[in-house]
Amino acid sequence: MIFREVEDRDLIAKARRGGVEGYNLLISRWEKRVFNYLLRLVRDREDALDLSQEVFLKAYQNLGKLEDAGRFGPWLFRIAHNEAFSLLRRRKPEGDAEPPPTGEARSFRMFPIELTLAVESALARLAADQREAVILKIYQGFKFEEMAEVLSCPVSTVKSRLYTALDLLKDTLAPIQTRGVQ
Amino acid sequence: MSCSPYDLKDFFFGELEAGQGRQVEEHLEGCPECREEFERLRLTRVALDSLREEEPPRRIAFVSDTVFEPRWWRALWQSGPRLGFASAAMLAAAILVHAWVRPAPNVALAPDTAAIEARVGAEVARRIAPAVQAAVAESEARQANNTKELVSAAQRRFELQRDADRVAFAETLTYFQKKLNVLQLASADLGARP
Repeated sequence: MIFREVEDRDLIAKARRGGVEGYNLLISRWEKRVFNYLLRLVRDREDALDLSQEVFLKAYQNLGKLEDAGRFGPWLFRIAHNEAFSLLRRRKPEGDAEPPPTGEARSFRMFPIELTLAVESALARLAADQREAVILKIYQGFKFEEMAEVLSCPVSTVKSRLYTALDLLKDTLAPIQTRGVQ
Repeated sequence: MSCSPYDLKDFFFGELEAGQGRQVEEHLEGCPECREEFERLRLTRVALDSLREEEPPRRIAFVSDTVFEPRWWRALWQSGPRLGFASAAMLAAAILVHAWVRPAPNVALAPDTAAIEARVGAEVARRIAPAVQAAVAESEARQANNTKELVSAAQRRFELQRDADRVAFAETLTYFQKKLNVLQLASADLGARP
């Protein structure tokens, strides 16, 4: 972990001197995480890819403003957050969210592909800021302090969004008994 | 509603300290409702984890294009020795300003340094030479006087030593004379005995 951080620092230093190759290597380390974060947030592959490119371009142009190279991850995701919410604001407000499932929560078994669809559907029904909290914590593994840095809000707000989202997801997903997936 | 001593979700995400976590664990052992709630959280996490990460459809990479690269002055400013560059630039600017502002020397009013040096040399020679001669003469006289006093003192010491030697010789001679007289008397006494 430490070696990785040191290497990232070296690549950032090279990129700051105008070294595009070093920056491309840095991109290759982070693009999958950024792409998946954006994909789950904006729920469109092309948009997620376009935003990813925009994120890395802006990061390159603003590397000089990064005070601590060891905080590159949260700083990069802060840019991604701004780009994603800029797009979401241009879209119609959460009216694109899927309607809640009819009927009460049931306990049933699903194939893995069905479970994946159910999870995507449950995430889509969350508000964007709640969905983002789940993505950052569950899928990106950020600590609460890092999430607060990415979202530019207090840790208490981060927890509130995450826990509310978790309650909503729990009502939908916990009753599911997967078939073939434990 | 959970009756756990601490938030079950904090415990679920490992946000509690060790002691607090143990209290929640103990509580879970004795509270079926909280145990069920915790199990629902776990199942939710399992379901969420079923969503796999996707590979980006295209790799993102940049080519070396000056449009996207930082400006030369920004790259210079962001480089490691930027303070050195800044200092050197300020020093160079200060030198240029100083050279520009400082008035040029007036060549027409420049003094004839060679003539001044010659005049000063002549004046120095005129005043120094007699003073040096007087100082030398005084020094020689002082040296001669010292020599004379040293010789006189040596003569006095020699005469005193000679007088002392003469007295000692006289005393020694008297001592041996007396000894000889005693021996002669003793010899005459021995010859007069039968």
